[in-house]
Order: sequence, then structure tokens, then C-alpha cells
Amino acid sequence: MPHDVTMPQLGMAQDAGKIVAWLKKPGERVVAGEALFEVETDKATMEVEAQAAGFLTEVRAAEGEDVPVGRVIARISETPQEAASASAAPVVSATGPGSSGPIPEGRAVTMPQLGMAQDTGIVVAWHVAPGDKVAEGDVLFEVETDKATMEVPASAAGYVAALLAGEGEEVPVGETVAILSDRMPDAPMRRTRAEAGGTPLVVQPAAPAPAAPAPAAAPPATAPAIVRPASTVLPASAPHGRILASPKARRLALERGIDMARLVASGVSQPVHARDVEAFIAPASAPASHRLAAGTLRDGFTPFATWAAETAGITDATALLAGFAAASLRAAMPATGPLCIAVTGRGADRVYPDPDDRLGRTDPAASPMLPALILRDLRGSRITAIEMGTDRAPVLMVGGRGDALTVTLVWADGQLLADAALALVDGFAGRLEEPLRHLLL
Amino acid sequence: MREITLSQAVNEALAEEMRRDPSVFILGEDVAEAGTPFKVLSGLVQEFGKDRVIDTPISEPGFMGLAVGAAMTGARPVVDIMFGDFLFLIMDQLCNQAAKTHYMSGGKLNVPLVVRTNLGATRRSAAQHSQSLQALVAHIPGLKVALPSSAYEAKGLLKTAIRDNNPVVIFEDKLMYQDKAPVPEEEYLIPFGQANIKREGRDITLIATSSMVQVAMKAAEALASSGISAEVIDPRTIVPLDEATLLASVKKTSRAIVIDEGHQSYGVTAEIASRLNEKAFYHLDAPVLRMGAMDVPVPFSPVLEDLTVPTPDRVAEAARRLCAGEMIHAA
Repeated sequence: MPHDVTMPQLGMAQDAGKIVAWLKKPGERVVAGEALFEVETDKATMEVEAQAAGFLTEVRAAEGEDVPVGRVIARISETPQEAASASAAPVVSATGPGSSGPIPEGRAVTMPQLGMAQDTGIVVAWHVAPGDKVAEGDVLFEVETDKATMEVPASAAGYVAALLAGEGEEVPVGETVAILSDRMPDAPMRRTRAEAGGTPLVVQPAAPAPAAPAPAAAPPATAPAIVRPASTVLPASAPHGRILASPKARRLALERGIDMARLVASGVSQPVHARDVEAFIAPASAPASHRLAAGTLRDGFTPFATWAAETAGITDATALLAGFAAASLRAAMPATGPLCIAVTGRGADRVYPDPDDRLGRTDPAASPMLPALILRDLRGSRITAIEMGTDRAPVLMVGGRGDALTVTLVWADGQLLADAALALVDGFAGRLEEPLRHLLL
Repeated sequence: MREITLSQAVNEALAEEMRRDPSVFILGEDVAEAGTPFKVLSGLVQEFGKDRVIDTPISEPGFMGLAVGAAMTGARPVVDIMFGDFLFLIMDQLCNQAAKTHYMSGGKLNVPLVVRTNLGATRRSAAQHSQSLQALVAHIPGLKVALPSSAYEAKGLLKTAIRDNNPVVIFEDKLMYQDKAPVPEEEYLIPFGQANIKREGRDITLIATSSMVQVAMKAAEALASSGISAEVIDPRTIVPLDEATLLASVKKTSRAIVIDEGHQSYGVTAEIASRLNEKAFYHLDAPVLRMGAMDVPVPFSPVLEDLTVPTPDRVAEAARRLCAGEMIHAA
């Protein structure tokens, strides 16, 4: 069955995305999970994966084009030449099984994606009722993710034609939770997802042509696109929606490791001036955070851990990783005395005291010692780095899947000198890429 | 220290240099018996005679060409161009001949001449006698351009100009001829390319030339009362330009307004502002503003004429906006 490819919603306030590049050509075979295209929003550039296997057909959006969220931009078909069938469905319309009637037409309000790793959100409370008139910016509902609770405003004025999720229900990102119509709806409706039988209603909208009566057929087969961070480093602020700041303010922010976007998010009005940057540090009085990232050409660690387990009986790969980190730290700061490495990120946190043995033969035991380094193991997940401010020790993160690993270090003023940080990241990445170095150095 | 008028300062500078160097002579319209319409040269013909203070016919291209030839053959003429507006008449002699002779003769010929002229509006002299045309000559490689802002600068810069082996155009502000300033009795020279920090400040740099220096000083006083500390710098010569002093100041204050009485478009302010932009960009916390004369012929109507030039109020207002972090000309 063909799958529609839609423009995903990557941010709450995002109503369109720009196709930066198609990574597959029309007619080309795609496998589910393969990166299909790159999309740029005002916040980030991401790669979007194919949700189904087949052939890319009916590409309707060109590179460089801005496409509204939810619009069908291509199709994954069973054959390379499959022709358009009943596409160009204009507006949201579907009769979900178990619904109490046809869903009214209008603009779809979807579950926003508030965080990069967020797949679903919980509707905490509705602030509007079916039939209500809403103005642009009125709060429609409150959504809770694993990180925060946010209010979702209406992106345009209109009437609440339908509420399609109940309070307390968890809704996948991108799924329609409400419909706003331009005119007073004849039969405003309310139902829960459970009543709808869990059938996701996905936006199928936005051909600007006048709304043809929608086929009351089966719900569209699209699933919300899952996005993963593009392999490249995301720009702090994207070219569009650029933050206005004086050159001096930018220089100061750069010198002090202040992210302009965070400064603006803290309520500083634009244009940002030097004094705003200076004031931003003063009250917080938190040590400035620094960040350094590196990538490896290949993952040498996974085969090394396998080899160590098979030939040397060392089964604790985490200890090996801690050993790599400790050795890199010692190389970067030769005068370091006894140290321990705290490892987080996979299961329970563990502390490895002085894991200096080249093959990591140390006991994972609780240590009263303050860790010299916190190692966050994100390998195998889609996350390459996570930044939660500075910690009691420098945080070294390793992430990535498959061929390459990324290494990111976050530290506060006073924890590391810049030279040591460079040597640490470079040394650690080098050991991961070529573990022989670890044994020889 | 004694105070003398700008007019007296120029007169003194010429007299001293003519006494010191017999090759220095003055030529121009009404320079001898009349002592110019501004009475700047009064008394010089009595001391130096009609051979060294020469009244010419009303023929700027003619006597300017004469001066270029005299300079090439060893004399040091000081040419009096009665109004800056008459520079248009001597463009070929000045820009094609005087400015290029040293270069085109492979260094064999020097043209040590000085063109003394003036600038400044609000004298109710209408469009053809009120222009400030320093940008016009500053654009030509080979010419040096001095813009004295008081009697002290007028004397020190003119003496340096007369001793320079290259053509120099010096613009006096015709409204300042009767303004007094402290001028030492003993001899002094003001070297070219050395800006003068008239007032130190912390928040904004006001770079002003000639007539605009006093405008900037008044603006700085007004700003001080509202808690803004303005630094005022007079470049004194725009060719050569003391970039280092200007850049150091802007790096300190991170804001600047450049003020010059020439027309704003394609003017002196634009040149200085863009150098600051290029060389101090990462120190700027606000756009560098230009303030020049309005891009219109100077009106004869006093009410309108006063509107065309920067005033202390307008400079202070612009400075306040910059310091407040207001968005200036934002797209």
C-alpha cells in the first residue's frame, strides 16, 4: 500500500518547513528508516526518514520550496511508476471508526513536537470547548511531555469544530487533536482517541484549491514522520528567524560561550546589545559553559569490546569505555592523581574508581570520590549529545549509531583549561576510532 | 594664554611663514588691498608688498594654473579661493595637474602649494556660496585636506600646509572667522594625520570636522546632563586620516556618529563610518551613523537653511537613541 510522505511538524510554532534537499531521487528504491529528505525550519535542519519501504514517487515539492506542515510532498509506492490515485485530498477529513459522526472540515491542530526526542504528548486540559470562537493566540490546550508542560495557542482565528483527544490522553506527535474552522461549525464534535479506536487522524491537507467534498474513505495511511537529528551540527540559530544582535553583543556571547537563542528565550528583547550579554552572565553567576564536539570516522569501540569479551573475558564494556575516558583525561592532564569516572546513560549510574588499567579491569563500586569526569553513554540511541548545563565535573558524551560516533564535551569555567579539553576530546575520539591507540599509548 | 580670532590666526600663520621663507607668496581675488571679503589678510600687503600678495583678475582657473607652475619651479604659493564653491572652477588645475604631477614626473617635480578656501552654511549666502566641498578634493589621491576647527588649529595646520611639499587644500569655516580661541604666541605646528580628542567619554564617540566640532561639543554637554558620556574627536585632517585614534575610541565606546558639514551622500561621513565598520565591526554595539548636510542645494531662506545642517539637538537626539539601544533604520 502506498504511503504518503508529509511535511513533519518539528516545532510548536512551525507551520511550514523548507525542503533543503531530497536525499532520494524520484523512482529510487527506499528502505524504511532511510533518510528521505532534509528539512529546514526556523530552528534546525533535520533529516526525515522514510516510514515505509518502496519507491519514491510523485515528488511534489522541489528543493528550496517552503511547504506547510502536513502537506503531502511525495509518496512511497510499491512500484517506481505508480501513478497518483486519490491524492490531493484538500483538507482534514476522515471518518474515524467509532466516531460519533463525520469530522468537520477545517484547519487541523496537531500535537506539537516540543523536544527533539519527543514522540508523544499528553493533552492535560482543553481550554476551549467545541463551538467556541477563538482568536489567534488563544490557548487551545495544555500539553505535557516528559520535559515540560506547555500551552498551545491557536495559530489563527476561527471556531473550534472538533476536539479529537480527551484530557489525559497520550497523542503521537503530528496527529490531529482538534479542528478549527473559519465558519461557525454546524455540528461541533468532541471525542477521545479511545472512542476513535486509536485510529490516528493525520493531516492530509492544504492543497490551496477549494475544498472538494472529502471522500469519506478510510483514514489516510500516513503516519507522522519520525525525525532524527541530521548528522551535521545544528546551527545555534537558523538563517531565517535570525536573532537580531549587535556585532559586539555577538562577539561577547561567542567569547563567553553564551547561546544567543537562550539569551533571547530568557526574555531579552531584540536587538540584543552588549549590555544584555553582560547582564545575562551577572545575575546567573553560573560558571560559563563550554562545549566541544568531535566525530570519528568509524566506530572502533564496538568490535574492540567484542574482542575483549571473547579473548580476554572482559564483559563490562562500560568499564572499558570508562578506561578510555580516564586514559584520555590523564593524557590531557598529566599531573592527575587518582581519579574516578562516573558513567550515566545506560541503566544505572556507575562509578569506576581509577579505571586506569588498559583493559578496564576495575570494580564498578560506589566511590566517595568526586568523579573527575562524567561519561554519558548515548550510543545506540538517536541522541548524539544532550546539554543540561554544567555539572559537578566535565561531562563527556559519546553518541551515534553504526559507522561513526560523536564525542561532545561540556564543561564549566574552572573545570578544564581549553587545551586540556581539546586534548581530552581528541584523545578520546581517537581511541574510539582506533582502540589500538588505547592499548599502545 | 591670549585669545585671538580664527581670522587673526590665519593672518599670523601666513605672516610668519612669509617672513621665514621668501618663496611663500599669496595670490587670489581681493587679497591685497581688500584683505579678502572676510578681512583675513588685512595688513599683509603692507608688510610683504604687492609682489608677494598678488591681486588676481576674477579668473580662478588662470591663477590656479599659474600657482601650479610656480610651485613646480620652486615657489610656495598660497592660493586664496574666496569661496569653497569656486573649487569647481579650478578642478583641472588642482586635481589633474597639481595632484598628479609628482607621481607622473616620477618624483622629479613637487607641487608645494596650498589652496586656502572655506566651507559652511547658515551665512545666508545661498546655494553657490555655502557649500562644504571637502569630500570633492579628499577623493583625489595626491591632495591633502585639512579642516581646522578653531583659531588654534587654523594657525598650526596652515603653517604645516605651507611647509608640506605636496598640494594641500585647507578649508576654514567662514562663520568662525571672528571666533576666538587660545593660541600660543610662540611658534607651533600641528602635524597632519593627528586627531585631537576634544573631550573624553565612555558611551559614544562623536567624530566631527571643522564647523561640526563645536556642534558635537555642545551635543556632548547636553548628553552629559542626561548621563551619557560622549567622546568628541576632531580628526583635523581628513587626508591623511588618523584612523588609529578613531578606532581606539570606537573600540572603547562601541558607538559612533560621524558629523561633517558636507552633503551626507558619498561624503566624508560615509568614508569614516565605513572605515569604522570595516575595522571595528566586532566592537560595535550600534550602527555607525552619518550626519551631514541635507542632500539639497543650500536654501537661501534662513528658516530652511538652518534645517539643512546638523545641530547640537539633532546630534544629541541621535546619540541618545543609539545609547538606548533603539533599532536604527532596521529593516
